[in-house]
Amino acid sequence: MKKMLSVLLAAIMMVSLLAVPALAEDQVLTVVTWDATTTPYLIAQKEAFEAANPGIKIEYVDVASQDYAVKTTTMLEGGDTSDVFMIKEIDNLINWQAQGFAAPLADYVSGYDMSGFVGTEVNYAVDGVQYAIPFRSDFWVLFYNKDLFDAAGEAYPTNDMTWDQYAELAKKMTDKEKGIYGTHYHTWLSAVANWAVCDGVNTLADKNYDDLLYFYKLYQDLEDNGACMSYADLKASGLHYSAAFANGNVAMMPMGYWYVSTLIGYNKEGTCNFNWGIVAVPHLEGVAAGSSFGNLTGAMINAKSEQKDLAWKYISWLGGEEGSLATASTGARPAWVSEGVAACMSSVEGFPSDDNSKAALLPAAVSMEWPVAEKVSDIKTIVNEEHSLIMAREITPEEGVQEMNERVAELFE
Amino acid sequence: MSQAGVKKVRYRMGKLERKNTLVAYSFLAPNFIGFAVFTLVPVICAIALSLFEWNGGDISKMKFVGLDNYATIFATKKVAEKGLGYFFTRADLGIALKNTVYYTVITVPMTIVCALALALLLNKIKGAVFFRTVFFFPYVSSMVAICVCWSFMLMKDGPINQLIMALGIDFNKGWTADSTMAIWSIILVSVWRNMGYYMVLYLAALQGIPRELMEAATVDGANKWQQFLHVTLPQLKPTTFFVSVMMVISCFKIYDVVAIMTDGGPGRATKMLVTYIYDEAFVKVRYGQASAISMVLLVIVLLVTIIQFSSEKKFSSD
Repeated sequence: MKKMLSVLLAAIMMVSLLAVPALAEDQVLTVVTWDATTTPYLIAQKEAFEAANPGIKIEYVDVASQDYAVKTTTMLEGGDTSDVFMIKEIDNLINWQAQGFAAPLADYVSGYDMSGFVGTEVNYAVDGVQYAIPFRSDFWVLFYNKDLFDAAGEAYPTNDMTWDQYAELAKKMTDKEKGIYGTHYHTWLSAVANWAVCDGVNTLADKNYDDLLYFYKLYQDLEDNGACMSYADLKASGLHYSAAFANGNVAMMPMGYWYVSTLIGYNKEGTCNFNWGIVAVPHLEGVAAGSSFGNLTGAMINAKSEQKDLAWKYISWLGGEEGSLATASTGARPAWVSEGVAACMSSVEGFPSDDNSKAALLPAAVSMEWPVAEKVSDIKTIVNEEHSLIMAREITPEEGVQEMNERVAELFE
Repeated sequence: MSQAGVKKVRYRMGKLERKNTLVAYSFLAPNFIGFAVFTLVPVICAIALSLFEWNGGDISKMKFVGLDNYATIFATKKVAEKGLGYFFTRADLGIALKNTVYYTVITVPMTIVCALALALLLNKIKGAVFFRTVFFFPYVSSMVAICVCWSFMLMKDGPINQLIMALGIDFNKGWTADSTMAIWSIILVSVWRNMGYYMVLYLAALQGIPRELMEAATVDGANKWQQFLHVTLPQLKPTTFFVSVMMVISCFKIYDVVAIMTDGGPGRATKMLVTYIYDEAFVKVRYGQASAISMVLLVIVLLVTIIQFSSEKKFSSD
């Protein structure tokens, strides 16, 4: 009896030994990203990649979005061996490259078609060496609530409005009695004054901020007229832009393209229930209509990853046509530009069906929100500090802009 | 006496004594090892790091720069050119220093007064245990929850402003979005949160005042106020000393309330030393410079503590 038992146990052990490698055959690629469970395109990308590559599994490491840069840097600093890190802002990659955390992709990209990135990929190159592949390129558009415009009997915004026409329209749409705001500005610098870089000449690192003045004055005029919520209230209440627009009492809102997929989701699940559309952001006289600014999202391979080839397989897929179709299927805008991708974006269920919204998918020009430049993180701090003072009306726009000019100049003395 | 004679009388530990000493050291060891690994070594590393330029990652990229990091944070070039006023109005370190000192100078006495007043009130009233728990509660609550709640209460048209306006004062500003009020919102939250803890310390001290002293004072015809001034207060000196040392140190290290409520803003109105260190180290990834700022903080806290301890004798002798 005892003998039987021991033979049986030995047999079980043998079988389990054989079974372990069979189970471990799946290769697992760890990808560090933010909001992995709530971001539709991340879910779609994972499903599509795993379906196209049986035997490879994607495992997301989820990091809170507002702490992303700090936490991921700490992870890399501590020798984390996750294979792929997604890049939220371009200067994250520039820092990581300088610290030696990003694996150079020179050998990989030599045979890789990057034409679809229409030049945006250079933002991820340092000294001519590519360190990451973009997979999303968001630019800013103007969202508007069609139902509010219909109720007020006003014509919808168009793709070729100037900022003055937009301000006029915002005031017209404001109805204090009904609690309707003509427009909504989120508290960020990018929502209020970043428009100055749309001309493709100005950048936020060019040490001269006089061109922001026009936009601060435009904003303050709108705030004085009650055409938008006040900055002080937004700051104290922490009202998120997604809720502000979804509440249905805001006629227009300039915001990044990423908000399209949020709105589609909201309409599907019933968080909000109104018709909306997008048009190109307004432009200044003398700047081409449809000019906007934006940001890139990409992925890099960790220099400490032990499966770099596999990681390349994933990020090259992510940036290319197939990955882009998965991204576009959720309403997000891929970095890869092709007819197939554009068709996929406008055919997403819930995307507005009017021609203006479709036309807004093809901006005339997209400048970078923040350029890659020397001391850009210091400049960011300074400009944002003065921005918050101007917005809270602690100082006049003129004083704020002068402070920006002086403090940034001091950085380079 | 000859040399040999001296050697003979040299003290030698007995076996039992040696054993006892070893036991004592073994009890001390865990704490000391913890202190060495998690405090002493990092402090020494930070001192060294403050002399280097390093953006993290590859250690071979560390560059020795001497006192350059200190020159940068003290803006020595500009200060030499434009005077000390420049340091306190424009340099990040000067502004952070000014804000931190301002916050400390107001918060410490305010907390002590509130804590002592609460302790005196709750010393002998009915239901004291209940109220003690109530006032101690903020101290054990989550900091994030406290700050978020206060942010709402301090909003424009919020309950605090409504209260102020009900008193007939025309004041309706979002506290955290206003550069003069922002630091006061931080002071308010800090005092409110910490007074319960220090109240408990004062309560314990009050219980320790000998009843005979009070009785003697009563016999001598002292009224309540005189009793408080000449008996209670002097008896509480050691506690006040301890509380003030602890508070000054913790005030210089203020970070959490600022990070949650104002994030150093608006502008640089609530930029503190520790938020400045955090920004330099983890946002701008300049570990050398961040270490230099933390050395400044270390020196300040050390100086304050030395001054306080050297005046301790004065505090407790009379």
